[in-house]
Amino acid sequence: MPEDFRTLLTLTLVFAPLSLLSIGGGASLLAEIEHQSVGVHAWTTEREFANLFAISRAAPGPGTMLSTLIGWKVAGLAGALTATIALYLPSSLLVYAAARLWGHWRGSVWHSAIERGLGPIAAGLILAGGIAVLRVLPGGPVVWLSAAAATAVILWRPLIHPLVLFFAGGALFGLAEALGLW
Amino acid sequence: MHRTNRVRLLPIFVGFFRLGVVSFGGGTAGWLYREIVERRRWINDAEFLSGAALGRLMPGSGGVNLTVQVGQILHGGSGAFAAVLGLLSGPLAIILALTAGYTRIGQSLTLHAVLDGVAAAAIGLTFATGLKLVRFGRASAGPLAVTAATVLSVGVLRWPMITVVLCLAPVSIGLALLDRRGGRA
Repeated sequence: MPEDFRTLLTLTLVFAPLSLLSIGGGASLLAEIEHQSVGVHAWTTEREFANLFAISRAAPGPGTMLSTLIGWKVAGLAGALTATIALYLPSSLLVYAAARLWGHWRGSVWHSAIERGLGPIAAGLILAGGIAVLRVLPGGPVVWLSAAAATAVILWRPLIHPLVLFFAGGALFGLAEALGLW
Repeated sequence: MHRTNRVRLLPIFVGFFRLGVVSFGGGTAGWLYREIVERRRWINDAEFLSGAALGRLMPGSGGVNLTVQVGQILHGGSGAFAAVLGLLSGPLAIILALTAGYTRIGQSLTLHAVLDGVAAAAIGLTFATGLKLVRFGRASAGPLAVTAATVLSVGVLRWPMITVVLCLAPVSIGLALLDRRGGRA
């Protein structure tokens, strides 16, 4: 159906450019995705968008699955797949090209110096990423303390599977909410 | 141009599928380090860190970008494809299943609290990974200072990441050139 095709094309045209603009991770796209799906294309109401965002947080996986959900809402499974591919394919191709180019230099003095030089920066960026997520989570000091406790446990007892901690964290917070502790 | 493929495609797909379905709270890099570097030893610390750095600097999700690069190292273009397909297919199925419970999920306060608790633990995994990797610089003063400067400027002061990295990278690479003692992690 031409109408369906049009919808899929529109989804692609909205999400593919965002793929290449999302420097600093998917979270930087949230405002623009909201603008496009609520304001420009009326794919969702504000309320539905908020709900989709909440659901997208519940799923595991890297970055945002929000585009997937919006695609699903607009055009079912085909829409979900189209929106996901549109958001991840262009940036992935770009990184792939960069990685191949980078691989060509493997073994040279510069390659090893750059790799070792980027190491401390990457470690810092990973830590900074943790701080960034901490900042947007509601809950204040309780969340900070829980994150610190989880860090300590993982460092001191590396054999404990992180999922056990994830489960404990979820259960504790859920229980506190259900009992009205905050 | 063709190097030997370190790992076959099916194990790559399965390994990253597992990563995809467990990485709650956005801690993909932490899970990837644990599963792919520490447990399976498919890549070393240096490869992980340069992939993580490039992955964050380039557009797109840092986790997906890192996955593309690891897949590329392990099995070229088809390796990158298998890794990303594995990483995304689990979460995609899960989120579509969750959509079935659409309205209830969006409104449940308890569920929001549970997700916050999971996210707090996921941040713990992220911090632990970052702290473990600090030792990558063999805890000498230069690399430690670079890491501290990155955390302070990007994490605390919220300066633009690209600018910070462009300023710090030449310093850090210079330090690495001067310190030619150790070649590998």
